[in-house]
Amino acid sequence: MTPPKTLLLFFFAAGLLLAPGHAWGAASEWSVNPQSSVRLISPWKTAPWKTAPRSGELILGLQFRLSPGWHVYWKNSGDAGFPPAVTLQPAAALGAPEILWPAPRRFELPGNLVAFGYEGEVIYPIRTEMKPAAAAPAGGTSDSPADDVLHITADLDYLVCQADCVPYRYTLALDQPLGEPSAADPQTAALLQIWVDRLPRIVREMPGVRTGAVLDASRGGAPELEVRVLGVLGARAAPGKTDLFLESHETFDAGRPRMRATSDGVVFHVPMKPKVAGKPLPERTSIAWTVSGLTAKDGKPFSLEARREVQVWTDAGSRAPDPLREAPGRAPDRFPRLLLGAFLGGALMNLAPAVLALLLAEVFSLRGSGLEGSKTGVREGAAAAVTGVVGACWGIAGIALLARRAGWSAPWPAQLQEPAVGALLAVAALVLALNLWGLLEFPLAPAAARAGTGRHLLAGLFTAPLALAWPVPLLQQPIGAAFARGPAAVCAVFAVAGFGFALPYLVLALAPAAARALPAPGPWLPRLREGLGFLAGGSALWLLYALSRQVSPEGLAGIELALLGVGLFAWLRARETIRPAARLALALGLAVCAAGALWLADHNRLAPRPVAARASTSINSPPNPDSGG
Amino acid sequence: MRSNRRILRTTLLSLAALALAALPALAGSAVGDAAPGFTLKGVDGKTHSLADYKGKVVVLEWINPNCPVSGRHAREKTMIELARQHGEVVWLGINSTSPSSGDYLKPADHLAWNQKTGINYPVLYDETGKVGHAYEARTTPHMFIVGADGKIAYNGAIDDDPPGRKSKADRLNYVGHGLDAEKKGASPDPASTKPYGCSVKYQ
Repeated sequence: MTPPKTLLLFFFAAGLLLAPGHAWGAASEWSVNPQSSVRLISPWKTAPWKTAPRSGELILGLQFRLSPGWHVYWKNSGDAGFPPAVTLQPAAALGAPEILWPAPRRFELPGNLVAFGYEGEVIYPIRTEMKPAAAAPAGGTSDSPADDVLHITADLDYLVCQADCVPYRYTLALDQPLGEPSAADPQTAALLQIWVDRLPRIVREMPGVRTGAVLDASRGGAPELEVRVLGVLGARAAPGKTDLFLESHETFDAGRPRMRATSDGVVFHVPMKPKVAGKPLPERTSIAWTVSGLTAKDGKPFSLEARREVQVWTDAGSRAPDPLREAPGRAPDRFPRLLLGAFLGGALMNLAPAVLALLLAEVFSLRGSGLEGSKTGVREGAAAAVTGVVGACWGIAGIALLARRAGWSAPWPAQLQEPAVGALLAVAALVLALNLWGLLEFPLAPAAARAGTGRHLLAGLFTAPLALAWPVPLLQQPIGAAFARGPAAVCAVFAVAGFGFALPYLVLALAPAAARALPAPGPWLPRLREGLGFLAGGSALWLLYALSRQVSPEGLAGIELALLGVGLFAWLRARETIRPAARLALALGLAVCAAGALWLADHNRLAPRPVAARASTSINSPPNPDSGG
Repeated sequence: MRSNRRILRTTLLSLAALALAALPALAGSAVGDAAPGFTLKGVDGKTHSLADYKGKVVVLEWINPNCPVSGRHAREKTMIELARQHGEVVWLGINSTSPSSGDYLKPADHLAWNQKTGINYPVLYDETGKVGHAYEARTTPHMFIVGADGKIAYNGAIDDDPPGRKSKADRLNYVGHGLDAEKKGASPDPASTKPYGCSVKYQ
């Protein structure tokens, strides 16, 4: 079901260059009646099958123009009507035609009946095959290439309806020139291309999109079909926009679908009435559907078609089957492997510069507490740090889940590309640097050996945000897969990544004696801390560099000034002889500067906010076909 | 004493609820459901009741003379010939066209059309659409076979040729096959198909 779209487009482009002028070389006459006009079109001014290989796929078009209020039908006509039927002659030259069906719309009829079809203008692409050696006998007797013409006739039956219906039967005749070089007809090829582009896509053509269904017959009443489409932007509830169309089914009569938009797609529920009462339902049944009016993640409109062996769920006591289990294209990622990836990725995050600075300072601080208070001191401190790290990871998972629930469906790493998040991380790195330089007696990685476990907990909590700025490739896949599985998986993956992240502390908590392997603290330790401060400072500078791509130059200058302000207030507060009221005021100033950096980042962003961007793409409707053709 | 009364009351209430729940399952439009009963006036002025034909196989044909698909089958004598071949069955046309629709025909005009096209079976007026909705009749023609047991045995199209492109001999006439099966005491196969034609012109 994949028409050669690029090929058609190529010939269209080639036709524009090679064949200017010459109108309607590749169309039958219009057959006209009061309700509709119809003709057969070919994209070829000169079709390429005169010489070998003389075979190949040929896409023709059945072009309808309908009077206002009248419609023709989709492959499932709905409650009434019937779809058009066509045969092609000469049968010796052309294979059996297959009508390709653009996504239809819904027509409401009196008596609560619905029909599925098209109004205004529609071109049904028709796929057929040129049979080998077809061109020569059909083309007459002359050897001259210019005389080679294939006389194509299409016998067409269709029903056109308003509330009333009128059937029509026509024979449409088209003389298709054959020859080399071949040339596309610019007008018909362009017209046909519009409708070929509007054919529903299959999942394989749309990376990241998944669809599936389950038939719930466990609740007594009429079974209900649930159809899901995931990996698309929000659905449009307006009539004629996002809609579900089921193909006719031999076992069930489908009722009206109810639609619900989710943060990552759309869910339909359709009552399915068995056509035969009291007959046991099959375990699985083949169901085909088309969903119209979807918006891809890149903002492009499309419709989707799928056919699946759908599970019929009859036992209310058992677990509900996953509608997407049948869907191909779902990554067969096993959960334990995801968790292992998360653990290793978490451990790797310790190598991020700012994290490394804090880690080393913290580890030596723990070594110091071991010196004074024996093993338990180390164990308690390390355990507190582990708790802090894992807790912070859970916090981040919670924030990410809330952001998704709020409709922010950006993939995981993109959430970190918010300028305000970048500014926050820069502030955090700077605060760490100031702390290590001794300018800000923030209770992190305490220099004093008598520090309580609370301070280690805080150090652990502070570690996770520092790591956010360094997306570890190993972590992206487990986190992405976890979000696809749901909140429980997200919590599990983030917890395991947290334990991996806290691995150094975990080792110290389990084997406090390992701390002894480190050199005993000496006068060099304060120098080391100050040195590590530069690592954290460098991290802040790197984040500013990253921000320079997301924030205007003026905004970046403002952020840098705000960061300087943070440093200034910290330096002022660091003096020994300062009154408590002044200390408080300076702390307040520091906090204002930090908040200012975030505000500046958000108000000087270069890209629009993601939520606003989504709203603007969702009002785009599919391009209207050129009715002038 | 008191607990006994409570048990009795609970049992009675449950039975009543069960009966209520079972009611819609008894009559319906699905194959195997009891055919919904009706009493309707024909274009001939006589009143016809489904109950009158108890024990007989009844064919119901939703019909609308102004629908070209009904019209084609009338011209081709699809229904008339089938009814004649199966003299043992009762054939009833039902017209659920609302008087507000442009397709509505007065009884005298309908009768004239019947005579012109050779339709000699009763055609009943269902102007409110109540019977049409009970059977969930969607198209003209939409065909039902009600078995001798009063249950719906077939629900769907007259044949497999919506545009009428094939010769009559080449068409698979589902109702004809179904009636042959009924005659032999078997069930129609297929028992349900997708009906085609104009929509029933309900209110």
